Amino acid sequence: MGNKIKLIDRVRLGFAVLVAKSVTFGVRSLRLGAASVLPGAIARRIEPRLLQLLSQQVKNGVIIIAGTNGKTTTALLLRTILENKGFRVCHNSTGANLENGLMTAFLESTNLVGTLDVDYAILEVDENIVPKVLTPLQPKAILCLNLFRDQLDRYGEVDTISKRWTKVIATLPPETVVIPNADDPTLSHLGQQLPQKVLFFGLNEPQHYLEAIPHAVDSIYCPRCGHSLDYQGVYLSHLGDFTCPSCGFTKSQPALVSSEWQQILVGLYNKYNTLAAATAAKELGVDENTIRNTINNFQAAFGRAEDLVIDGKRVRILLSKNPVGTNETIRVVTQSTDKTTLMVLNDRTPDGTDVSWIWDVDTEKLVERGGTLIVSGDRVYDMALRLRYSEKTPQSNINLIVEEDLKQAIATALEHTPPNETLHILPTYSAMLEVREVLTGRKIL
Amino acid sequence: MNLELTIGWLYPTLMSTYGDRGNVITIERRAQWRGYSVKVLPLDQNATADEIKSVDVIVGGGAQDRQQEIVMRDLQGAKAEAIREKIENGTPGVFTCGSPQLLGHYYEPGIGQRIEGLGILDLVSVHPGENTKRCIGNLVIEVTASRLAKDLEEMTGTKPYLVGFENHGGRTKLGKVEALGKVIYGLGNNGEDGTEGAFYQNAIATYSHGPLLPKNPFVADWLIQTALRLKYQQLITLQPLEDTLAMQARESMFKKLQVSPPKPTVLA
Ligand SMILES: [Zn+2]
Repeated sequence: MGNKIKLIDRVRLGFAVLVAKSVTFGVRSLRLGAASVLPGAIARRIEPRLLQLLSQQVKNGVIIIAGTNGKTTTALLLRTILENKGFRVCHNSTGANLENGLMTAFLESTNLVGTLDVDYAILEVDENIVPKVLTPLQPKAILCLNLFRDQLDRYGEVDTISKRWTKVIATLPPETVVIPNADDPTLSHLGQQLPQKVLFFGLNEPQHYLEAIPHAVDSIYCPRCGHSLDYQGVYLSHLGDFTCPSCGFTKSQPALVSSEWQQILVGLYNKYNTLAAATAAKELGVDENTIRNTINNFQAAFGRAEDLVIDGKRVRILLSKNPVGTNETIRVVTQSTDKTTLMVLNDRTPDGTDVSWIWDVDTEKLVERGGTLIVSGDRVYDMALRLRYSEKTPQSNINLIVEEDLKQAIATALEHTPPNETLHILPTYSAMLEVREVLTGRKIL
Repeated sequence: MNLELTIGWLYPTLMSTYGDRGNVITIERRAQWRGYSVKVLPLDQNATADEIKSVDVIVGGGAQDRQQEIVMRDLQGAKAEAIREKIENGTPGVFTCGSPQLLGHYYEPGIGQRIEGLGILDLVSVHPGENTKRCIGNLVIEVTASRLAKDLEEMTGTKPYLVGFENHGGRTKLGKVEALGKVIYGLGNNGEDGTEGAFYQNAIATYSHGPLLPKNPFVADWLIQTALRLKYQQLITLQPLEDTLAMQARESMFKKLQVSPPKPTVLA
């Protein structure tokens, strides 16, 4: 595909790549960080069509992974499946999912004159820039994992996002494969409207239904007619088995039978991630054996149900960056017998500066079971107040420790964890990076 | 006397976008911790006008534009009259983001038709269009609505500063209704005239979520006290609660925003 590029484009591309690579080298040798955004930003200044020129060179195609939760884990699983088949894959594995991050991932895999020699590119894409990058990327497949309320201060609202996605995806070539979550009404609706090939993924396992619809739910109204949906059951948040009593809109049939598949890691949300990646891999022609073997041997991406051993004590980091994700990580904690939990709440740009979402989380479930809860982060007092207001009596049921200093908070949390128990850490995104840095002594971004 | 308090929560599933539930939880807990019996009554599509009339304090949150339309279609006739009657008769309430828009004359969304409001508060809200920036960020206001400011000052011994977070696309312009306060940090109603929120009878309207009440517990207590006075026709003194965490949360926000916290006032 590289030969399709005009000579003049190739020269500009080569120059842009060269400059970007020098920046990467410079940033790393000066130990300024892992250079996951800046090289892309600079190269794009020099050649604005960079994304398009680079993506054209990917041999078998670009795969987009979009959605509020689970992008990194799904991408890592799909990448591992493809690599196990011997494919070369480029991937924005640091989770930098805005335009400059995508560009930087491509640049990492190009040689000095801008030739990209990979079979697949797997790109985790921020929900808000999906409409902007689909046309230049011309992806082979698009995985739409879920749409939850996340970082609303940056994105506006769930309805608006799905409308924008539908509009742009509809303009892509008919052979584009779209893989939406059937259990998410908004995405099921999106899939049902598209002219492209659509393969749904979702659960058919009523034994995993929740007892009640949690409060942190966005979309229980029919995306087609606005009537409220009837749920036979809810798996998590607004994901479930639904029909509309007014217009007949109902969940689409998933391509894979979920009960026949093992899942990676812990938590029902990872079952969705598993099914999304498996559906995509099958569609790309990977045999079922390789897919199942990869699933069975899968290790966590950093901070996503990642297990570490620190000073002989087990630590599990469960990224908790929005109400749905946090309700699920709380479900993991409450299903364990471990009684020490550290919550770290930051309000930096990658976390979303609006932390009001913590009031949509059912922290009551965590507090009811007692134990020691340590809180830290930029918004430590907001988190502490949320936990305090989870208690129905003036006397506290928990040992609540408020510690502004993260290092000290981690040390205290480890001290409180008995040798045979696991410390669960529930951090927001930037907090997760900091926690890992403290625990492992290494920076990852 | 066994005190009872019923909290009416406007459309909990349709209007609860930004942690607005926190306001309900704060009132509920602060009443529970003092030993009152508390009931939270969802005032949704299934609620009757009589149920609306039965509540002692009302909480309303924000909504996405589509949900706001569904609410307005439902909030007609006897139900609309019940809300109007409650507010006019002094039932206290806290209304955030979308719900003040719905209590005002109208709201014009970024795309689509104008949504008519109940016209109880003399204010209008307009979304200036998809490409206009949302008003997002930490918010500090000084309560200036005279009666409320006086009550809160008596309760706390300081000028009442409220700490919150705003996150709204719409801009609100006040008519004859009194503003809730003046902006000390942030944007408020429209980013232009320095006003934030509105105060009418005992209804507090604000763009401040975060939610508002956990970090401003004295406002929660004012709502509870006002509700009980109306219900039992006598002044009921609330026993103080341990609010160290809320005070630390406020201090840490004042420090972060470099806002000088309010000084204690010398009462005459
Ligand atoms: Zn319908």
